[in-house]
Amino acid sequence: MKEEISRGRKKLEEDLRANLGNIFVPEAKLFGMVCGCVGFAADLRGLKRDDVEVFKDRINAILEEISNSLGVKPEFIYARKLPGSDEVVTLTVRELCSRCRREFAGSKAAPRPDIMILKKRL
Amino acid sequence: MRLMVPHPGHFPALKEIVAAKEAYGLSEVEEVYMGGSPEVMGSGRGVLHAPLLDEIREQTEYAHQHRLKMNIALNSPCSGGHHLTFEGYKIFEWYFDALNNAGVDGVIVAEPYLVELLRDYPMKTIVSCLAYVDAPQRARFFEELGADVITVDTNINRHFDLLEAMVKEVNCEIKVIVNEGCLYRCPFRYSHYNLASHLSSLDQPKSPLFAPDFYFDKCINIRLRDPAQLIKSAWIRPEDMSEYESIGINSFKLSGRTKAVNWIINCMLVYSRRSYDGNLLELLDCPQMLRYMFYIDNRQLDGCIAQWKSCSKHCHECGYCDDLTGEVLTVIK
Repeated sequence: MKEEISRGRKKLEEDLRANLGNIFVPEAKLFGMVCGCVGFAADLRGLKRDDVEVFKDRINAILEEISNSLGVKPEFIYARKLPGSDEVVTLTVRELCSRCRREFAGSKAAPRPDIMILKKRL
Repeated sequence: MRLMVPHPGHFPALKEIVAAKEAYGLSEVEEVYMGGSPEVMGSGRGVLHAPLLDEIREQTEYAHQHRLKMNIALNSPCSGGHHLTFEGYKIFEWYFDALNNAGVDGVIVAEPYLVELLRDYPMKTIVSCLAYVDAPQRARFFEELGADVITVDTNINRHFDLLEAMVKEVNCEIKVIVNEGCLYRCPFRYSHYNLASHLSSLDQPKSPLFAPDFYFDKCINIRLRDPAQLIKSAWIRPEDMSEYESIGINSFKLSGRTKAVNWIINCMLVYSRRSYDGNLLELLDCPQMLRYMFYIDNRQLDGCIAQWKSCSKHCHECGYCDDLTGEVLTVIK
């Protein structure tokens, strides 16, 4: 597991750098939430909203590969921006609990304005 | 009953709120509110979206097409004196002009100077709960400054004597927030909202904060150690709104503009229907995380409002809320 997380972080960073320039992934983690959601999240610096929109398919493919390797079903993939800006600071893949399937991922709109939905497979 | 509901700020969310309002025929939902530009002023909540004026205009037009009023929250209780500089004055004057031209119906402010400044505009001046209006005398002062609506300090949500006196004291509309779960007489309230004001604006502290969540963490810890604080908070159950109507308060506000849009829609439905079966903590804007820890059976709270309406708030002598906590609150395993 430790190796998979480290490998995932490195792969994501290398791939983004190859396509987008100086992107830094200082931290990647596997998480479990109190509600029942589990997931993989990578903190980033250097990535912008436009980058994510243009490379969405590529980013989704990498994140799906990493999350599958960690045993997380990639049901909901999203980017979180710094509020009010175009800086993307986290990419997250989440296997959803029943509440978040309805409340967090159930709307047609992004659940919050700082969230960009990249993929939804509910 | 008139209900004002939160809007996270992005246009697709407004469309979903409107769709739900219309699908369920929620005629009591008359207004929405969202944050304004952090370049002008911070607000009482984190700002997740910074709408430009064109977007505010577009969303306001959409809201109006669907018979909803649009209000903009600029309710920072502290702007560090910026509003009293010539530059600050010019910025607020320009922004209020722009909001007015965009068709905005009301502006929510906490700063008394801005209340007075807004007198020159046809937009409604809505005094925020962060102006801490907690007595009829204070309500009178704000009305004389120019308030059209006063959102009362949630600390007095269960002080019916003060609420009733306030309704009689002023002619402007009195509004109560129904789903705020803050600590009753919270010692951190002023400090926390002042901090939020600065963190949600461009007027940031010069150095990084080593404990940006200090107040929030303290607030959660206090309730984990003493869950009765959850019962003593100033929330209003959907079933108890009629008690407020009976003293002349017909205007209610839902808190929660930083929450997910489907959570907002659920709260809007529940409060419009005035009935709810389930964990009361599901409806509270803050502290939302405790809904995973505690279950407060809303049905078991039927009739408790009678005690709170006449309660002296001398908790050390009473013990009602402590006993009630044992009956209605369970720890989720």
